[in-house]
Amino acid sequence: MLKAMLKKEFTLILRDKHALAALFIMPAIFILIMSLALQDAFKSDHPFIHYALIDRDQTDLSTAISTALQSSESFIFHDKTITDKKQLQQALNGALQFVLTIPEGYSRAVRLESPDIGLRIDAASDVKQDMLTLFKGKLTQLSTQLSIQIMLQELEAMLPGISKKSEAIQKANSNIKVYFSGLAPDQHPTSTQQSVPSWIVFGMFFIIIPMSTIFINERKQNTLMRMQAMNISFPLLFTGKIVPYMLINQIQVWLMIGMGIFIVPLLGGDALSLGTSITGLFLVSLGLSLAAVGTSILIAVSANSVEQATTIGGILNILFGAIGGIMVPKFFMPQSMQTLSNISPMSWGLEGFLDIFLRGSGVREILPESLALTAFGGVTLLAAWGIFSLKTRNGL
Amino acid sequence: MIRITHLTKYYRAVPALQDFNMKISKGVIFGLLGPNGAGKTTLISILNGLTPFQKGDVEIFGMSLQKNLRQIRKRCTLVPQSLALYENLTVMENLHFFAGIQKITGSTLQNNLEHAISVNRLQRVLAQKAGTLSGGQKRRLNIAIGLLNTPEILYFDEPTIGIDPESRNEILETIHSLKKENQTVIYTSHYMEEIEKICDEAAIINHGEVIRQGDLKTMLHETDDSTQTLNLESLFIQLTRDNQEGADA
Repeated sequence: MLKAMLKKEFTLILRDKHALAALFIMPAIFILIMSLALQDAFKSDHPFIHYALIDRDQTDLSTAISTALQSSESFIFHDKTITDKKQLQQALNGALQFVLTIPEGYSRAVRLESPDIGLRIDAASDVKQDMLTLFKGKLTQLSTQLSIQIMLQELEAMLPGISKKSEAIQKANSNIKVYFSGLAPDQHPTSTQQSVPSWIVFGMFFIIIPMSTIFINERKQNTLMRMQAMNISFPLLFTGKIVPYMLINQIQVWLMIGMGIFIVPLLGGDALSLGTSITGLFLVSLGLSLAAVGTSILIAVSANSVEQATTIGGILNILFGAIGGIMVPKFFMPQSMQTLSNISPMSWGLEGFLDIFLRGSGVREILPESLALTAFGGVTLLAAWGIFSLKTRNGL
Repeated sequence: MIRITHLTKYYRAVPALQDFNMKISKGVIFGLLGPNGAGKTTLISILNGLTPFQKGDVEIFGMSLQKNLRQIRKRCTLVPQSLALYENLTVMENLHFFAGIQKITGSTLQNNLEHAISVNRLQRVLAQKAGTLSGGQKRRLNIAIGLLNTPEILYFDEPTIGIDPESRNEILETIHSLKKENQTVIYTSHYMEEIEKICDEAAIINHGEVIRQGDLKTMLHETDDSTQTLNLESLFIQLTRDNQEGADA
């Protein structure tokens, strides 16, 4: 009996090109695009600030600042001739984020501790505040460090060896190694580790579209009524929906993981690493699947038409995704939004997946998310059951 | 075979069936006639255990419907007014699915499939998706699905609605052929000539009450002066008008 229902549901989905596109192609494309697009943002050793430099001072200090900036791994120097305001504007409207001007007399002002002459930064209007902070910080560090070096060189005659000692201290201070939690010493978080779980979660909730379409058509055409007259009970009817869509969700999860492991690297992105807990991965994906199926059935039994269900389902998915950190990663959000994101079941699923993919966690760590998702799925299924019983009693 | 006594059904405060009584014998084709809202579909729903009722008793095969619903359902079938099938599945896939959920397997499945297909003349379209069939073919598939469990009672709720006269005749012939297999058919329709053509017995219902029931030929000869022969349409109009006047008075 259940076998017939599973076969029917799979056949109907396989013949629905729109459903297949929403369930498999859409998340796969998102994974590819986002993994490649955000690749640089996750690389700590990758230059990402584009700047030009106007040196009006032409001294040892200004040259040293210029050289040190160019050797920094976070900055990309653009050799541009900027002599007037128009050229400056054009440069900032193009690829540059900053134009640094070292004014005439800067070196002398540093030596004489005159605050009147300082460095000038012209920034593009769309530059992010954290980039500006980083650029300013780097400049402050360089100018302080180089000024001290110049002063130490002047003191060398009185205190022989002081310059070398200072260099050794600086080298020791700059020898900083970063170890990411849950990752091997040579590993760092990648855009693929962030994108794959996000778009798996988003894609899983898209079963709302095919499920509600099939379910509402069955209701409208009295196929459900016919099945009921053939002794198909509500539990069996619901099981006939839950099982195939949970299986489809699991196929989605493993296909998208496969995308992350095999396809993204082929296109130049970082490969996904699975983490250490496959059991944890199963638990999160099963909980998430139950939550997605529960939400889908609840919408399918509540809506009066396919159009209504697909509209409500689509909007709900986008809202869950936007709040839950799918579209904008949570670490970009302010604290209040991060707290708000906890209302979205997509956020619980995403955190569970990130625990495994990104933080190297195991079953114990993902258990709260997995249980919350299962409970959410249970509650939505119970609500769907109640609404469906009520509607059936009133003649479907 | 079916005995309905003092059946009362309300939708909130609105009565759908009131103190409804009816008896249907085995092996007859029984027509249910009535204007829209008379209670035909409600009655069919109740007989299939799809709609609860407030008062009365329904006995089918000598068993109480409420107490033995699952056993009774196994021996009956409902062919709904709408095309309750899957347009994206082929004819054969539809038949296999509905047989599968009724746990019909093995040689029984093979025999029942062959019977349902041949009775409804679906041999040539088995591999076609149901959505691509003509209106008449879809209706025949709708009936074929209903024959899969070789039911003793078949409920047809307006099975010829919205199809051309040729397909309608084919369907009526199919339904008439079921009589040879001693199956009981309860048939609702708006088309009087259909009832006249295939039914042995009929009941005219209005406002949830039976206003005339019996052998169709006898009913048509029973007029006020017992001398004039009526056709079913004029009898129906006369009875429902009298019933309406009685209700208004």
